[in-house]
Amino acid sequence: MTPDLSDYVASRVALLNRVRLILRDTMKLQVEPEAIDPDAPLFGTGLGMDSVDAVELVVQLDAVFGLELIGSPYASTTIRTVNTIVDAIMEASGES
Amino acid sequence: MSRENEYRSVRHGAALSRMDHVGLLRLRGDDAIDAVDAVCSSDLWVRDGRMLQSLILDERGQPVADVYVCPDDEACILMVEGITTDEFAACLARHADPGLEIELEDLRPEHELLSLHGPYAWEVLSRWLTPDIIGLPYLSFYHFDRGICFRAGKTGEYGYDLVMRSEDAEDARRELLELVRSVGGAEVSLGTLDLCALENGFFSVRHGSVEGLTPLELQLQWRVSARKRFPGVAAIEERRAGGVSRRLTYFVARDEVKTGDLLRGPDAPVGEVMTAAFSPGVGGVVGTALLDISVAHPGIDEFFVPDRDSATAIRTVSSPLLLNRSLVVDPRRHTYATREDATHPPLWQGSLP
Repeated sequence: MTPDLSDYVASRVALLNRVRLILRDTMKLQVEPEAIDPDAPLFGTGLGMDSVDAVELVVQLDAVFGLELIGSPYASTTIRTVNTIVDAIMEASGES
Repeated sequence: MSRENEYRSVRHGAALSRMDHVGLLRLRGDDAIDAVDAVCSSDLWVRDGRMLQSLILDERGQPVADVYVCPDDEACILMVEGITTDEFAACLARHADPGLEIELEDLRPEHELLSLHGPYAWEVLSRWLTPDIIGLPYLSFYHFDRGICFRAGKTGEYGYDLVMRSEDAEDARRELLELVRSVGGAEVSLGTLDLCALENGFFSVRHGSVEGLTPLELQLQWRVSARKRFPGVAAIEERRAGGVSRRLTYFVARDEVKTGDLLRGPDAPVGEVMTAAFSPGVGGVVGTALLDISVAHPGIDEFFVPDRDSATAIRTVSSPLLLNRSLVVDPRRHTYATREDATHPPLWQGSLP
């Protein structure tokens, strides 16, 4: 693995694990964080989040990562999976 | 009709499809849901009138069937892909308590399944059935005079499955097709629906082999109970204890990449292509690859399919790949006729390697 790829994966994994913990706590899931798959859908099927969970998640993402999705027309397309959230955090911080 | 036109129906208008490959079953009796619980891998926390996606696994923990579980009064309707009705009955006989009071009914001889997909599928159905259909929540169903309407779908667009008596199905198909054409749509093949499912990250028993794979590698842990025993659970526990070494990851490519192609990184092999298909929406190939867990992440441009003369690069991406039009079409404000008045972002916002 090249150093650049190694660095990228390391920061991606760190964010992935932090977002998983937020999701687990927000939804009070009784699972280990690694049981939340990065591409699992958050709404409808998958984790089965509802609009109340979504509001709480958006607030948490703002508080922890400074990801400003409150009132954003892109909120529903950003929080589709853990991976799409991590993409948005990395893009906002210029890491992608 | 070309794949591209079929694709356009699903992604921009409405599409009708016969779902002859889906098994339609009804379990009757007080113990119906307990019997389904014994064979499915998920916790069946689902109310009457709602649907839940689950799996049936074999003893190795590999998915053999993709199942919608739909409790309906004192029965449970099942839509099953991947195994036959006889195989499902055998699975019940092997795993459900023989003392349970159940009666398994194959709905197929007397019923057919039609499905509608697309950002304007709701408009077709509101004209054919009732305007109230736009209020039907995702993963729920209700009975109407000619059958049952399920709000489901695996394309990322508005989707509805209609289970109807066979004597009504042909007339319904003709009427629906006329309405589908009025919103720029058409009848589409299973291949097109499978492509759309792939683009949106829906599991399909037809997306490549699952040989040696469990829900842990397939990113389907949300369909696996952490509380109950079910067929294949011992294999999953063993795999989890030993550590998962590979994970399914989505990718795009500019050039042809085929199922079974081996993938390399800068200094070592990293995995294998599980399924790949050309996507008109992306303008390139979309697919899944089984990658070493250390690099099974989106946003990586360093993997390629080696060839004698050249190398085909892939880019790993997050799922779902598309910004579906159904996310921005609001049945309370939009119609197909006024679609040009609304601004729609592009379906694909990424770029190819």
